[in-house]
Amino acid sequence: MFKKILVANRGEIAVRIIRACKEWGISTVAVHSDVDSEAMHVRLADESICIGSHQPQNSYLNVAALMSAVNITGAEAIHPGYGFLSENAHFAEIVTKNGIKFIGPSAELIKKMGDKIEAKKIAKKNGLPVIEGSSESVKSITEAKKISDQIGYPVLIKAAGGGGGKGMKVVKKPSDMEELFAAAKLESKKYFNNDKVYIEKYFNNPRHIEVQIMSGKNRTVHLSERDCSVQRNHQKLIEETPSPVINENVRSSLLEKTVKMVEKIGYEGAGTVEYIYENGKFYFLEMNTRVQVEHPVTEVATGIDIVKEQIWVANTGNTALTQNDIVPTGHVIECRINAEDPSKNFQPSPGLITVCHQPSGFRTRVDGAIFQGCKITPYYDSLICKLICQGRNRTEAIQRMLRALDEFVIEGIVTTIGLHKKILNHEKFINSDFDVNWLAKETFY
Amino acid sequence: MKINKKIIEELTNYLKEFNLTEIEYGEGSSKIKVSRAQSSSSLISEIPQNKKSIENKNKDDSFKVISPIVGTAYLASEPGAKNFVSEGQKIKKGQTIMIVEAMKTMNHVPSTKDGIVNKILVKDGEAVEFGQPLISFK
Repeated sequence: MFKKILVANRGEIAVRIIRACKEWGISTVAVHSDVDSEAMHVRLADESICIGSHQPQNSYLNVAALMSAVNITGAEAIHPGYGFLSENAHFAEIVTKNGIKFIGPSAELIKKMGDKIEAKKIAKKNGLPVIEGSSESVKSITEAKKISDQIGYPVLIKAAGGGGGKGMKVVKKPSDMEELFAAAKLESKKYFNNDKVYIEKYFNNPRHIEVQIMSGKNRTVHLSERDCSVQRNHQKLIEETPSPVINENVRSSLLEKTVKMVEKIGYEGAGTVEYIYENGKFYFLEMNTRVQVEHPVTEVATGIDIVKEQIWVANTGNTALTQNDIVPTGHVIECRINAEDPSKNFQPSPGLITVCHQPSGFRTRVDGAIFQGCKITPYYDSLICKLICQGRNRTEAIQRMLRALDEFVIEGIVTTIGLHKKILNHEKFINSDFDVNWLAKETFY
Repeated sequence: MKINKKIIEELTNYLKEFNLTEIEYGEGSSKIKVSRAQSSSSLISEIPQNKKSIENKNKDDSFKVISPIVGTAYLASEPGAKNFVSEGQKIKKGQTIMIVEAMKTMNHVPSTKDGIVNKILVKDGEAVEFGQPLISFK
């Protein structure tokens, strides 16, 4: 086993990784920016190194500084977490070339899956249903109009290098195409330094369903699905497993096809294949080649530590899991607690946490990096912690989540705790009668 | 009720002595509450309702546009792009003078008046506090 792992991340995911390492007696190295010197992940790690100033490009995205930190500390592997450099093929390549183990798939696979057009081709070739649309990047407005006429409006223009809703445009009618096509190309160039865009059929009421997989050289297994349809601006807010809207036939087909695809491409480690689900059918969306924010939902349901399994696969090349070992039980929900004010259009709410009481109790888990007296700076993502509750069924999971949210006290900053209570009490959530566009239409404040 | 100045004075002294922010004293049906205005040095910031910057008159008497939020200031829309405003430039009220990023949200900061930019007071990528002057006018 590795003797020392460097965690190239911050916040709750860095804490999550350090916890997994500690349980296995692996020493940990935390890296941090100058404003994060007092952060939880720095306090929990065995060693810590300041790698730059508050701006991500100077610290958490600073490859040279990270490699120096590896050299100084003698770490044998790097866990990239999610976000930052986790899906950066260039980083994975440099790490590997320096004889350090990158905990994740090969640089080549990260690159392929990072290009959404390429990923779609791979998915289609390996038997996954894909969304109707262009099979290559769309270069001209004439071509864009021709394809859109074929598949029928509304259509969605998407960035090949994209994610998170950037460079994405919904075109409702042909007369809007010219303007929106140009805008999508411009945005893609700006955010991803790649102006390649493609066109797909737009879904009006889709659910977002994803499959957690774990793969080694020996085999690929799935850890069932997650339903992440409570979203705002393409950002997930609540995730749950199992999905309350798919039946057993759809589920087994989805899981089986996903495992086959991942097996064929020779994937290594943890990954997530994301789908759109509408009217009883699912379509490949993209594959995330890293651990997801919402991985605890699956961990609680299956009893499998995904981060430890990632480390195991990185070290041995094989996964220790067999499909028969994986038996999800009950229903699990996760609420993302963000430092944002939902009553003020989700305005960021940095500040000092003056009072912090985190819930606990039966089947209640908190993954976070907050504590009384910690400073939430404005320089990074607004996610401060995640609350995960399990019930025997969905109703009990909702009741338990509401109980836990009630116990949660965070003072000094505004969070999304109050909004979660409103959503979980909402008839539409209780009846699972919603899609990814629901939150945008609903007024909670 | 008759206001007893002496009690207020005494309570005020206690505030200072024990470094309290508020003290309430009751006798019978009457109550007196003395409280100090809290010095707001906290990081917590609020964008004013109309999202416009707050105007600020400093001692040097030049008009300044201040940051409505805590975050990272950017002088241009992206690296390598032209700055939103430059020193000596004539600008209009409502025109974007810079972006302050907070938690991955880009907030355009508009000028709060017409005029000529005298000095840009922050560097690109600099961390700015709530209320920190960003540019000054001639």
